[in-house]
Amino acid sequence: MNPTSRSTKQLITGIRYTIIYFLLILLALFMMGPFLWLLSVSLMPGRNVFSSPPAILPTFIDFDNYVQVWQFMSFPRYISNTVIITALGVVFNILLSSLTAYPLAVFHFKGRNIVFSLLIATMIIPSSTAMIVHYLTIQTFHLGNSFLGVVLPAAVSVFNIFLMRQTFLGVPSDIRDSGKMDGASELRIFWQLVLPLVKPGIAVIGLLEVMAFWNNFLWPIVVLEDPGKYPLAAALTYLNGQFSYNFGWIAAGTMISVTPIIIVFLFTQRYYMEGIAGAIKG
Amino acid sequence: MKSWFRSESFSAWAFMTPGLLFLATFTFWPIIYGIPLSLTDYSVITETRYVGFENFTRAFQDHNFIISLWNSLVYVFIVPVIQVVSILMAILVNSRIPGVKMFRTAYYIPVVTSMVAVALIWSWLLGNNGVVNYLLMQAGIISGQVSWLSTSSTALYVLMFITMWKGLGYYMMLYLAGLQGIPSDLYEAARVDGANFLKLIIHVTIPLLRPHILFCTLISIMGAIRVFDEVYILTKGGPGTSTLTSSVYIFQKGLEQFNFGYASALGLIVSVIVGALSVLVFRLNRKGGVNSY
Repeated sequence: MNPTSRSTKQLITGIRYTIIYFLLILLALFMMGPFLWLLSVSLMPGRNVFSSPPAILPTFIDFDNYVQVWQFMSFPRYISNTVIITALGVVFNILLSSLTAYPLAVFHFKGRNIVFSLLIATMIIPSSTAMIVHYLTIQTFHLGNSFLGVVLPAAVSVFNIFLMRQTFLGVPSDIRDSGKMDGASELRIFWQLVLPLVKPGIAVIGLLEVMAFWNNFLWPIVVLEDPGKYPLAAALTYLNGQFSYNFGWIAAGTMISVTPIIIVFLFTQRYYMEGIAGAIKG
Repeated sequence: MKSWFRSESFSAWAFMTPGLLFLATFTFWPIIYGIPLSLTDYSVITETRYVGFENFTRAFQDHNFIISLWNSLVYVFIVPVIQVVSILMAILVNSRIPGVKMFRTAYYIPVVTSMVAVALIWSWLLGNNGVVNYLLMQAGIISGQVSWLSTSSTALYVLMFITMWKGLGYYMMLYLAGLQGIPSDLYEAARVDGANFLKLIIHVTIPLLRPHILFCTLISIMGAIRVFDEVYILTKGGPGTSTLTSSVYIFQKGLEQFNFGYASALGLIVSVIVGALSVLVFRLNRKGGVNSY
């Protein structure tokens, strides 16, 4: 290869990189810009979001909004509500979906195909009125205005069961055989031998459910009569209604509510992405 | 009997019972119970009567319900747009250049944040004196301020845009997973045959992404027809009925006005439409119609 063709090649690579980075940055502004703008609003107390020209970049930084909204909104309470609801939801989902998926992956038993087709049927038949029936069910069980009422309707999902089943199928069968040889019960084999091997699958379900429960706002509002029990997302809609013109407070409150979930995502995105990609197979 | 307790069948059912009970209560029961409920006038106010198909005849004469169905169908037009944009995004973030993972993460942030937060940000950005109007006026695209969310001719499209913006990262990741499963020697072979970038996409990428396109199309159709959060938070169906989607209308009838019977009938009608659309997409895909976008 002569020197000229090598430098042309470098030039082409250079142009290609420039175009790709240009597009990547443009798209990043489109997707992240609104969040960065919210951050900048939250850091400038007293600044109107509707001023003209709009304040896109912060001209000064001050944490007053955070301090004031934190004191005013009793955030610790909403955060603990959210944490309790999310933790309950995650534990229920992990336990119920792994218990249900395990036999479907490894046991041979009568009725297995029936259970399977029932599960698939629920994925095809959509229920547009599920929320109405859930409301009536929760009232029947006298679980209105309780965290359990918020969590139970979403305590297990067919999607999670299929995801866990996929993971259990990857566990070598001699693990179970060796457990049986030692005379261990099925429950013990499941708990002590198999479950530790499917931690990645459990992590995926855990993450998906953390996001789902953390961000859920409508069902909590329907079930919980006492706004003091609201999780963050629901409390935020309340904050918007109360102080629609205190932009700085609302912006700070919103930042406080989205930051934990973004941090969780940043640290666990590898697992999370695997779960998303696995959805097509599952 | 004793042997049955030690059998695999017993263990299997013992393991599954808790999960199946929950599924029965919160997944199967809503599907089943919706049917008898739709044949009554069940509400919290009056005594419940069996009314036959009255709710259904009423639904088809209910002007607002017909409008809400139409708005939900209009919403489905985001489906092809989502597929095109997110496939292009996936191709972009599949480039092997330094720092590309950081960009993937950035594009995914809207997916993990709550719709409450997203709706709030966009309602400010789209306000009369908001950033969007300012930028568009600076660029000379519009001559005066537009009240995007309170004008009946624009509100629905703006909501569609917000739904799409929040979901793009999700579909991008699904397509990226698909792209990474395409063996690179296929591209090499096509390139040796003299195919350019566009031809590579049309003749190699799109055909091999077909299962992903089918899956993403299906879930985005379901998502579009069931769209609720953004509409409910931002416009509650207004101005007038211009953004009233079927889910919002069902919610209003059911959980705000407590007409459980009527709302269940509306829900059943929507379920049938969604089911029919899914079957249609499957059919089109078999014939290759999905390839058109």
